[in-house]
Amino acid sequence: MQTHIISLLVEDHPGVLTRMSGMFTQRGINITSLTVSPCEKEGLSRMTVAIKGSESELEKVRKQISNLIEVVKVVDLGEHEAIVRDLCLMKVHVKDSEARSEVMQLAESYGAKIVDAALDSVTLELTEEPERIDRFVDLMRHFGVKQLFRTGVTAIGISVDVER
Amino acid sequence: MKLSGAEIVVEELKTEGVEVAFGIPGGVLLDLYDVLYKEEAIRHILMRHEQCAAHAADGYARVSGKAGVCIATSGPGATNLVTGLTNANMDSSAVVALTGQVPTSVIGTNAFQEASTFTITMPITKHNFLVKRTEDLPKVIHNAFYIANTGRKGVVLVDLPKDILAGVADVDLHPKETFAGYKPNIKPNQVQIKRVVEILARAERPLILAGGGVISADATTELQRLAEFLAAPVVTTLMGKGAIPENHPFCLGMAGMHGQVYANRAINECDALLALGTRFSDRTTGWQLDQFAPDATLIHVDIDTAEINKNMPVDIPIVGDVKLALLEILKLLAKKSAKKSGSEWEKRIKKMHEACDSCVEEIPMEGASVSDILIKELSKILDDDAIVTTEVGQCQMFAAHYYMTRKPRTFISSGGLGTMGFGFPAAIGAKVAAPDKKVVDIAGDGSFLMTCQDLATCVENDIQVVVCIFDNRYLGMVRQWQELFYEKKYAHTGLGITPDFVKLAEAFGCYAERVEKPEELKDALNNAFESGKPAVLDMIVGKEDKVLPMIPPGGGIIGMIGTERCKHI
Repeated sequence: MQTHIISLLVEDHPGVLTRMSGMFTQRGINITSLTVSPCEKEGLSRMTVAIKGSESELEKVRKQISNLIEVVKVVDLGEHEAIVRDLCLMKVHVKDSEARSEVMQLAESYGAKIVDAALDSVTLELTEEPERIDRFVDLMRHFGVKQLFRTGVTAIGISVDVER
Repeated sequence: MKLSGAEIVVEELKTEGVEVAFGIPGGVLLDLYDVLYKEEAIRHILMRHEQCAAHAADGYARVSGKAGVCIATSGPGATNLVTGLTNANMDSSAVVALTGQVPTSVIGTNAFQEASTFTITMPITKHNFLVKRTEDLPKVIHNAFYIANTGRKGVVLVDLPKDILAGVADVDLHPKETFAGYKPNIKPNQVQIKRVVEILARAERPLILAGGGVISADATTELQRLAEFLAAPVVTTLMGKGAIPENHPFCLGMAGMHGQVYANRAINECDALLALGTRFSDRTTGWQLDQFAPDATLIHVDIDTAEINKNMPVDIPIVGDVKLALLEILKLLAKKSAKKSGSEWEKRIKKMHEACDSCVEEIPMEGASVSDILIKELSKILDDDAIVTTEVGQCQMFAAHYYMTRKPRTFISSGGLGTMGFGFPAAIGAKVAAPDKKVVDIAGDGSFLMTCQDLATCVENDIQVVVCIFDNRYLGMVRQWQELFYEKKYAHTGLGITPDFVKLAEAFGCYAERVEKPEELKDALNNAFESGKPAVLDMIVGKEDKVLPMIPPGGGIIGMIGTERCKHI
């Protein structure tokens, strides 16, 4: 089971998200991450959906999603090179000043920002490829992760015109 | 132009050419019905159950080729539509459903007769709308019909809150605006067409599998021309019955689970299979896909991209309108010489055909069931134009196997969903679409009881359909499976002895008669048609009649059981 990332351009109407996700529900496919936001064209939104599934399963569901009236464009980013990003906000426990400086050092080496600090915790922000965030989170578990928030992936194709 | 929402809806319906609507009013629809009351261009037929309104619109659409319209109120009205809409959408039938909704100010508050019709019907429609502004109505109604009628046809539902119908807006009627992402792909790819032509011209054992898409695309003439040019036999799916006259020398009848033995054999033996407007349902292919055209180059023409490689991996896909594809194929083939008759394949097919024909003829002598004989009688009595609808189960498969359909849009059955109770209300829609044709519902006693209340609709609106009940007091198809595969344990398939269908029909004001023996059918049917009334014939059939031959569950198309009669092959 491979992770696939599908980028959708959809009409910004109520119910579009339900229609789209319903296609996965009908086939019993779990969505691992989902981002929705406005895009460069007025009245349209972009959805980035990450799912785990077989190639043939994905192909079938991709065609059915293309059939939805309010879906303007579907691109399977697995087929192309893509820049993939995830944003993570994380509150890490620091029991003493030694832990604090270690956390801050590691954060720096990963390019994470310190967005808030309290006596017993620091809050970090990291925008990166999802796998690199996974590694960073694993490191921080060593100190104790009090809360973890991730936006889910968003992705942009290289050398492929998503709007075409 | 300043109009109320209800007036806009009715104006746009007229623009779309709507002449009939099947519906039931309700509290939130009072404004719409107030406008319909004055409207002479649209005939409203008051149904007795919303499921029947949807089936009637479906039957109307299949017979007329135009979108059928049904109307139901909010809450229970809309939820009652669901089965009928699912059925229509599964069979790619163009239906536009209008539902009332509680006022926008109380949506989501569990208001009286509120149900979230928009979310409930999302997975069972091609598209649906919840209208939030009166001024959106022209665009919404126009698009509802455009979407239902184009590409792969289907169901579009428009949910209309009471305040949107009552509200007034200054609008321009008849907009042309549509959706950026909706481009029904109808023009087939030329390169693929050329490849197909080469394969068909070279094939030694070509075969055509015609599905419902051939009828829906009005491509039956083109299909027949191609079959004759290639000297290729044609088999059909259930939905494709009528795509080619079943008495045409090249027609082998229906293939699949309850199909003709020789139709299935031909699929197994062909070297090129041209599948047109079909989705390779398991009822057509069986479950052993290695028996399905194993030596053939598989060509699939369908208007829906999502059907390509969905159920059956194919060699050459063509996405597009079946009629356009056939015209292109015929154009290119014309440059080549027509296939000479007398090929080995043609001889083989002819032999199988004749063997089976004589088999069918012999049935009365060799322990045929009463049901078999009744359907064959119906085939003989009814003229070429008569429309047959079916319920679901044994009666349906007897009809599919033995009824000889001679024209497109004259065999109307619930294919994908298999909805018991479909045939009778679909017959109502069929009769309204084609008032000059005879319309007969081939029913089972189990199915008919599910929607028989609409006999009242027939009587009140003078819609003369004839319901022929295959009365075995069983849920016959399930009983058959229990007999064959569950050691004759007839769990909850016996229906007892009630009701008396003759009295039931008479209570509604219908003509009714009991047919105890097949030889009584002809007179009974004549009496029914001559009565001028909607009619019910209660035909007593064998309790243990079985639809045979059949592909058993898990079997393949050459693994039919019950083929003892087919010993000639």
